[in-house]
Amino acid sequence: MSVRLYGPALLAAALVLLSACSAASTGAPATQSASVPATAQGAASDGPDPSRWSDVLAEAKGQTVNWYMWGGDEGLNDYVNDWVSPKAAELGVTVRQVRIADTVDAVNKILGETQAGRTSDGSVDLVWVNGENFATGRQADLWACGWPSRLPSARYVDLADPAIANDFGRPVEDCEAAWNTTTSALVYDAARLDAADVVSLAAFQQWVQAHPGRFTYPAAPDFTGSMVVRTFAYDEAGGYQRLQGPFDQARYDALAPRLWGRLNELGPSLWREGDTYPASQDAVAKLFADGEIDAYFTYGVGGLGTQVQQGRLPATTRTAVFSGGSIGNANFLAIPRNSPNAAGAMVLADLLQSPAAQYEKKVNPPGYDPAIDTTKAGDFAARFAAIPVPAAELPASVLAEAVVPEMQAGWVTRLEKDWVSEVQQR
Amino acid sequence: MNRRAGLRVAVLLAPALLVVVGLFGAGLGLGLLQSLGYQPYLEGWSWTTAAYTGLIDDRAVRASLVLTLRTSVLATAGAAILGLAVAMLVHSSRRGRRLLTAVLQVGLPVPHLVGALSMSLMLSQSGLLSRLTYAIGLTTSPSDFPALTEDRFGWAMLAEYLWKETPFVAVVALTALARGVAPLQDVAATLGASPWQRFRYVVLPLVTPAVGAASVVVLAFTFGSYEVPAVLGRPYPAPLSVVAYQRFTDTDLTVRPQAFALGVVLAVAVTALVAVYLRLLDRLGATR
Repeated sequence: MSVRLYGPALLAAALVLLSACSAASTGAPATQSASVPATAQGAASDGPDPSRWSDVLAEAKGQTVNWYMWGGDEGLNDYVNDWVSPKAAELGVTVRQVRIADTVDAVNKILGETQAGRTSDGSVDLVWVNGENFATGRQADLWACGWPSRLPSARYVDLADPAIANDFGRPVEDCEAAWNTTTSALVYDAARLDAADVVSLAAFQQWVQAHPGRFTYPAAPDFTGSMVVRTFAYDEAGGYQRLQGPFDQARYDALAPRLWGRLNELGPSLWREGDTYPASQDAVAKLFADGEIDAYFTYGVGGLGTQVQQGRLPATTRTAVFSGGSIGNANFLAIPRNSPNAAGAMVLADLLQSPAAQYEKKVNPPGYDPAIDTTKAGDFAARFAAIPVPAAELPASVLAEAVVPEMQAGWVTRLEKDWVSEVQQR
Repeated sequence: MNRRAGLRVAVLLAPALLVVVGLFGAGLGLGLLQSLGYQPYLEGWSWTTAAYTGLIDDRAVRASLVLTLRTSVLATAGAAILGLAVAMLVHSSRRGRRLLTAVLQVGLPVPHLVGALSMSLMLSQSGLLSRLTYAIGLTTSPSDFPALTEDRFGWAMLAEYLWKETPFVAVVALTALARGVAPLQDVAATLGASPWQRFRYVVLPLVTPAVGAASVVVLAFTFGSYEVPAVLGRPYPAPLSVVAYQRFTDTDLTVRPQAFALGVVLAVAVTALVAVYLRLLDRLGATR
């Protein structure tokens, strides 16, 4: 009984215990150097060399890859287990999908193990990651670098595209391989909102204020909630261009009071009168499915058509992007430095980047947008072009036209922190 | 008792003690270290009490403290009173006592997480009850139904704790009552004691130690519980456990000492609360 008394504290403490204990006993802390600058250094790191691909394939045979990924999307989980796993098995690689609630859990695990001196036999081999979690891993030098650009499938990826070469404004520096791209959009019920209500953020805001209680967004620092705050920030600043580059205090000070004023003014018109915000994007999507709200922002509209078909969402579900104002990003696959199955992880990453895998992921339930340049995809180029678009979703060309880049992590963290104190805690 | 027997007991207890003291004590100690800034994975870390001093004027922590205390104290007092009442009711029913006791025990092995999810399905604004009131025309939209989940007060959290802990207290109280309280009550009755007097001077002193011990467990648990507020509560204000986890999963690693500081505060606060509660119970049992 005494074990349950201190639940979270004990959990946290136990984790620490596992990590720090053996670090102390080995005497040599695993990582002292926090930042390894560039690609060159990473490329020289030990581990398999993807430019000798046949060696990597041979080494990968028989390896089991522990792939840590956010497991909240059933469609994607099915894709991993029903499509990816058998294909990987043909190459002799066993995929063990480890579903986590938040990517930070994987980063914490790698960090703990590295700290404990497990520098070559970690339990994480591949992580689905981007943004702040990637940055955190870089901060503590957890990722293996120099491999993504040398994968055979890298030839399908436009590595010079700023959306692929940067992760939330932070240069990728060849430390993670692109897996998906995603564009944010507003999902709404066309039975409740007209097309005119969703032409711009200002028009939508007017609709929200005229229909109190029918819109909300997750509390930042939730991944999507943070995006909604940034969407308002871009709009308030007069365009995304104004908030690019490293964090700038003067520009921020000019923007912040107006932004928080606007969001606080919106508050009383939100679900529960803005007295509280849902804790996660899952909760927001559920509110929409349950008919408690009529619109919500999301990353990646793929899969909405399937959900409408399954009767989980109203048949009148539609999506909209605001011209020049839909934040988009890429998400990636990273291999921890201490992965004992790096070769297998590379083979899996290469498979995931292949046109066949990217096509399957787009057309079947997950509906995730490809990270590859589909025009370079050989036989698949035409097939990508011919993918039908369900009424609830938007064609890739429309999304591509509306997409604007993320701002750098410095801005993101500051906006999240201040949203909490200026909006949530008011 | 001779020396050898004492040694034998110590040896027999050693594995269990090692796990409890080793895992728990070392974990707590390392948590303490990290709360003081021990972050060897960051360049330029240093020892500091900043994580603790920062908690003092942290709005999320202040709001959290009030909420955590209120919820856990209400849940504990509620479960103790209701549990004792249920136990006396079951004890006094001549027929079906065994059945009722079994019914009480059904809920005991159900995890709190399952309880919390059930409460969410039942009590949320688009939950079962709301759909029922809609079907019979009492409400016309989800927002007409009172907000019981993610609300300011924490009704659903309290409901979950009471649903889960009342039977727990009741079962413990029943065990205490089963140790011959009936003849004592009969004696008191023949001596002219009123029902209230019989309760106050016969039943209460008998069950107080058992109910007290059970409610200490309830208090300590509800004070530190994470999964129930995570499912049924708000991101702000949130109980200490949730705030600690929010800080632990912050993508900024420099925030992490705050999570451990909160964990240490939580542990100290629970210990203090339990001490105060036991002191109060002692006094209650002593006044005869």
